[in-house]
Amino acid sequence: MEHFALWLSAFLTLGILSFLYKDNPWYKLSEAIFVGISAGFWVVTLFWDNLVGKFWDGWQDEPMLFVGAALGFLMLLRLVPKIGWISRWPLAFIVGATSGLWLMNYLASNIMVQVMATIQPLFSTGYASGFDAGWGAIISSLVIVVGTFTGLVYFFFSKEHKGAFGGAARVGIFFIMITFGASFGYTVMSRMSLLIGRMDFLLGDWLGMIG
Amino acid sequence: MSTRAKELIALGAITLFALVFYFGKIWGWGTFEFPTWLSMVVIVLIGLSLLWVLILTLKGQLIERRVVFIYVAFAVALPLFMSFSQKITISPEVYQLHNALTELPAGSKVLISFDYDPPSAPELQPMAESIIRVCFEKDLKVIVMGLWPQGPQQANLALEKVFEDSAILAKNLQYGRDYVNLGFQTGNEFVIQRMGSSFESMFPSDYEGTPYREIPLVRNVRNFSNVDFSVNLSAGFPGTVEWVQIAVDRYGLLMGAGNTAVQAPVMYAYLNAGQLEGLLGGMSGAAEFEAVAGYRAKGTKFMLSQSFAHVVVIAFIIIGNVAFFRSGRKSKLKGK
Amino acid sequence: MSLPLAATHPRLSVHLFFPIIVIVLTTCSSAFGQSDTQLDTTVVDDTVSIAAAPVTTLLVEDGKYDDGDSLRLFWVPSIDDQLIDSKVTGYRVYRLVNDGAAEPIVDLLPGVGNYTDKNVELDSSYVYYVATLTESGEYPSIHTESISPQREWINFRRGYLFIIMMIISAAIIFYVETAKRGKKLFVRKIAGLEAIDEAVGRATEMGRPVLFIPGISDMDDVQTLAALTILGRVSRTIADYDSKIFMPVSRSLVMTAARETIKTSYQAAGRPDAYNDDMVNYVTDEQFGYVAAVDGLMVREKPATVFLLGAFFAESLILAETGNSIGAIQIAGTARPAQLPFFIAACDFTLIGEELFAASAYLSGEPRMLGSLKGQDVGKAIAMITILLGVVAVTLSEAWGVGIMTDLHAWLVKVFSSS
Repeated sequence: MEHFALWLSAFLTLGILSFLYKDNPWYKLSEAIFVGISAGFWVVTLFWDNLVGKFWDGWQDEPMLFVGAALGFLMLLRLVPKIGWISRWPLAFIVGATSGLWLMNYLASNIMVQVMATIQPLFSTGYASGFDAGWGAIISSLVIVVGTFTGLVYFFFSKEHKGAFGGAARVGIFFIMITFGASFGYTVMSRMSLLIGRMDFLLGDWLGMIG
Repeated sequence: MSTRAKELIALGAITLFALVFYFGKIWGWGTFEFPTWLSMVVIVLIGLSLLWVLILTLKGQLIERRVVFIYVAFAVALPLFMSFSQKITISPEVYQLHNALTELPAGSKVLISFDYDPPSAPELQPMAESIIRVCFEKDLKVIVMGLWPQGPQQANLALEKVFEDSAILAKNLQYGRDYVNLGFQTGNEFVIQRMGSSFESMFPSDYEGTPYREIPLVRNVRNFSNVDFSVNLSAGFPGTVEWVQIAVDRYGLLMGAGNTAVQAPVMYAYLNAGQLEGLLGGMSGAAEFEAVAGYRAKGTKFMLSQSFAHVVVIAFIIIGNVAFFRSGRKSKLKGK
Repeated sequence: MSLPLAATHPRLSVHLFFPIIVIVLTTCSSAFGQSDTQLDTTVVDDTVSIAAAPVTTLLVEDGKYDDGDSLRLFWVPSIDDQLIDSKVTGYRVYRLVNDGAAEPIVDLLPGVGNYTDKNVELDSSYVYYVATLTESGEYPSIHTESISPQREWINFRRGYLFIIMMIISAAIIFYVETAKRGKKLFVRKIAGLEAIDEAVGRATEMGRPVLFIPGISDMDDVQTLAALTILGRVSRTIADYDSKIFMPVSRSLVMTAARETIKTSYQAAGRPDAYNDDMVNYVTDEQFGYVAAVDGLMVREKPATVFLLGAFFAESLILAETGNSIGAIQIAGTARPAQLPFFIAACDFTLIGEELFAASAYLSGEPRMLGSLKGQDVGKAIAMITILLGVVAVTLSEAWGVGIMTDLHAWLVKVFSSS
């Protein structure tokens, strides 16, 4: 059984990788198996974790679960075209609850705390004597302050990007692009890691060539 | 020879190769390791061929994209056979996480949320293993959970791996007393929100079905107030962003994070603002953490492949730009 | 923690008069500046060679603005707790729940003068005392009064957060109402928007379909909503041009919402008969399963134009790269910063971050969306002004010690730390 599982994993891994050569039946088979299994996995997980694990096993202790179950049932009414509109109510509930939760969280974590973290002295350490601060610290502060400020200018939609404002916006997009470059580098690392993981499986677990 | 025939030959060759080495594995051939001179020869050959590709590009001959794939495949696969070790420089944020964990008094409770699934395991699994190992070495109590359905399974794999270490095994750690797996719960960020008032409401029983109240380790853990530190291993949504915004900023939980490299740049804003107590970014983060913790595991082992692949990618970025500036980018719209 | 309870009982009798002696002595020593060595000689338990004074002024109070899950203890450390040659090895906090037996709950280091007990229940009452630990034993303080934790309904520490939220919300409501009254709100030009019609036109000319991918998040993600708004405009153009659209999705709710959106567009274009439900189909919730399917579709159907708008994760580059390899025009947009680089590298036009929402507001002309976009600009203006003011204030304050700037910085810290 272990041999079969290893060979099946390797067969599917190579099948997906074969897409790099070109679209082919091997890839299509692997893709279909992947899509089918993952869709099935989600159905099973949600059924056992939500419907059984959470609702069926828990309604005695928490009658409020019936409210959720009722909203979930309303969602299914979409299947009946005549009263399908009722399914918008649970949808409204989801959108409303999520917005309520995130409004405060975003404002607090992504705006207030970040604005606070941006407010830092441009001349670091040794303030009393003025400009004798380390250049590294000064540049680092400048990058954070100027980058955040001009980035905000770029995403300000109420004013045309002209004149000094336009200049600031251009500096902003410059910073944004540098950030994207760093991000790109990190993602290359991430993707390579996934490939390394598969290579380790193929050459190590499957063929036993590496330790 | 027709393309179809060539493809069939290639397929046959791959199958034969696989069969030979698979049976080799069964017959006990053992692993292969390049001697240093061979590693050097391989590196020089790859370097020279890249130079040749650059010259071709300068002459206006563009290589096919599939050639790039082959280069990347070799850059990733060959270093796995090499015996070099790479010097690993440790970033301050990795030290910060390690220190945060090691400075906790013995018996402190650490909550580790596994918010990823097997596709992200190559990056996050080495982190999970080394973080759990550090916790056990320092006699910290580990509570694991997952906001992703396969998270708790990844946690169990990591625990199994850590218990292979005889020093950890010798501690005779007990499930339910020294560590517990609370399992998965649906509801994404709402799970974190509810955990702020009651863990038990979100995890009425653990992964194995034991009721929450009957697990000694968590009996007195009501909410985040009763957890001393937490680590979030995340590959996307729900993940570190949600944990920071709800558990850290609203409930004051102390948290460090391990992220896939894709997400890491975004997390630096939270690190800079003090919302995160340390950050491991991608495989290099995992390798650095292993280096701080003082052992070599998969993160370190894979770094050589990672570095080789990066060099090849940088080379192709240069080659690609040469090609770009030679041809000039034509807009598809204008060129229609 | 591990000290057995029985070990503390012999000293319970000490409780009664020991604190009184200590309080008197502490008062004397602070009033007359006597050294603490005198205290040692007056310790009651003469079997102990290294004795120490217990902590004084032990107070307990309910944790402010919490869910009734914390009690805070404060005390003045033992006068024998010194930096050098200290006899005190630490403090042990004891707790009596509902008048039960005393249990040790935590051991603290010397020099510590407070502790927050976060393991308390709403309906229980608690009494505490703190024992000073020395090598020879422990010296308990007097008991606190009995206290039950209280739950507060409003967290007043977040007052400023509330005010800022109110300002932004008021601005949004103001602009929405202004837009509703028919006043035109200015939104700057967004590059990439004009390309939409052109891109659909190209697909029509080439006789190939348009592929629209609304990200992989569900309807609770505002990016998906923005994508569907843009879908309304795109599908209207497609209906007008009599082109074809197909849209594989990874969430069932998005599927139904997208079908409705496209159906409405086709009806508005006067061609309801040309619409059919197969334009949108569900693939799978699993991220890479979805990507594998969409990649395959792209290669087989070869769409001339690909829209990648919404919330994307690790699949962004795989999708954009495949779209690029089949030569499609790609218009992308997401507010996930980590994924933007790939769209910028592999697509022809990219809506960066909030531009996605701005584009959807602009295209729909919907007063609510336009109004909220303008309202958010007010929020951004507040952030920009605060950053400018704050940086100037903290720099002037720290570099040249300008007093008023120190006050301004302190005030800003207070306001923005209230979260």
